Amino acid sequence: MKVKLHIWRQNGPNDKGKMVDYNLDNVSSDMSFLEMLDILNEDLILKGEEPVVFEHDCREGICGSCGLVINGKPHGPESGTTTCQLHMRKFKDGDDIFVEPFRSKAFSIVKDLMVDRSAYDRIQQSGGFISANVGSAPDANAIPIAKNIADLAMDAAACIGCGACAAACPNGSAMLFVAAKSSQLNLLPQGQPEKNKRVRAMINQMEKEGFGGCSNYYECEAACPKNISVRFIAKMNRDYFVAVVKEGTKV
Amino acid sequence: MFKYLNHVVISKFVMAITGIILILFITGHALGNLQIFLGKEALNKYAAFLQGLGEFLWIERIGLLVAALLHIITSIYLKLYNYNARPDKYVVKRYIKAKLNSRTMIWTGLMIAAFVIYHLLHFTVGSIQPENYKYKEIYTQNAYSVEYNANATSLSSQDNDNDANIGVNKILYERHDVYKMVVLGFKNPYISIFYIVAVILLGFHISHAVQSFFQTLGWNSPKYFTWIEKLSVAYGYFIAIAFLIVPLSILLGIIGSNV
Ligand code: HEM
Ligand code: FES
Repeated sequence: MKVKLHIWRQNGPNDKGKMVDYNLDNVSSDMSFLEMLDILNEDLILKGEEPVVFEHDCREGICGSCGLVINGKPHGPESGTTTCQLHMRKFKDGDDIFVEPFRSKAFSIVKDLMVDRSAYDRIQQSGGFISANVGSAPDANAIPIAKNIADLAMDAAACIGCGACAAACPNGSAMLFVAAKSSQLNLLPQGQPEKNKRVRAMINQMEKEGFGGCSNYYECEAACPKNISVRFIAKMNRDYFVAVVKEGTKV
Repeated sequence: MFKYLNHVVISKFVMAITGIILILFITGHALGNLQIFLGKEALNKYAAFLQGLGEFLWIERIGLLVAALLHIITSIYLKLYNYNARPDKYVVKRYIKAKLNSRTMIWTGLMIAAFVIYHLLHFTVGSIQPENYKYKEIYTQNAYSVEYNANATSLSSQDNDNDANIGVNKILYERHDVYKMVVLGFKNPYISIFYIVAVILLGFHISHAVQSFFQTLGWNSPKYFTWIEKLSVAYGYFIAIAFLIVPLSILLGIIGSNV
């Protein structure tokens, strides 16, 4: 199949950047989206041009590094799928495909389609953990956890931190990420002792990084490759409300 | 006091709490207005009752004013803050779940604010159509008269209670003729249509706002939330229709044709 690519090219964080058009004639419908970009890059290298920089690692939908905005949607047209798991059969022969980097003030563009998502790491480091003395592994069922709670915590833990939520949000807000990462622990007994501190610290860091606030557009949920629900944002808001009433806003 | 604006999630709580106060008021207001369909006596009695609340009326007014100002200030601040959090726009952007009502909250909100100022000047202060605002209903001893009776003396000039005022034409009670003011006001099609457009915008704002309130304050359980979302849209329709049916009925001559 043939596709017409329109790809965002930008030399560095301070370059202005623009869309550049490329035609690819020999695309197999069985290729993944990233394989299609690999073919493009091989062509570019053979022609002596700079290849398109994009981030990827596992190519099996678990590392979260392959985020691209494809035709106006983070991770492309297929819901619940990362870019690396998207296949060219989801496009038609002769399609125009627009590829842009994830955009939010807190994600600066490194080059072309690659953005710096370390803001998410810093949010995680600010409170997305439990402080436990590590000894030998505890007994498997020493702490009973109800099945529905365990399932819910697992749903939150499905977050791969790819940044699609902030990229999809008209406010560039990271609320869905922060909600998933705080809820996965706040739901469980092990997370209780640091619950208030955790949610305050993570939201504080989110604000510091320059992410916007939530206007309940629910675009994040629609874009999330792991289908994480906005009800975790509601849960985080509730946790935060309680935490601020009890402990104030100072971290 | 405005330190909370430095915290986006707390600002959002302020939006939700002030918003629900406004919604509760709007609901009461819409239901109160519908008494116009019960006729002049019901509406004017209700209006006089509200006026007679004295300090409670002022407590309510100040409470509403504070809620409205906080709601507006916070929304403008959040909008600017959020706008700056996504400085670079996409060349192609498709929305999946963000519907038009959620993306236009600030614009419908600001238009509602402009309308509310007009509305207060129109019906509360009376400076937009003073000729319709001045009517009073008079109760004299012998009968209830609709028009101002030339022989009657107004309440204020009765203080000295001289003999001339004693008789069938003595005014026992007078009250603002809200019914007449509203009917005459809405017989002007420009004003009616302006009101109708404004309350449709209000309904649109509310269709996103109700479920947003629940989500923001953390009441989102999968069991109820689809119903809350439906309720939100239904509530928007309800508020818009409850308000617009009054100017529409007057415009069509269904009520008030006797005024
Ligand atoms: C007067 C001018 C108004 C403005 C400028 C305004 C603006 C806004 C904006 C921008 C939001 C979204 C907040 C955000 O995305 O963070 C919002 C939400 C809301 N508005 Fe208004 N609005 C106005 C009037 C009203 C009125 C009259 C009502 C009630 C009838 C109302 C009820 C609500 C509610 C309940 C919310 C949801 C709160 C939440 O985010 O959870 N608003 N408003
Ligand atoms: S490359 Fe790891 S999730 Fe796509």
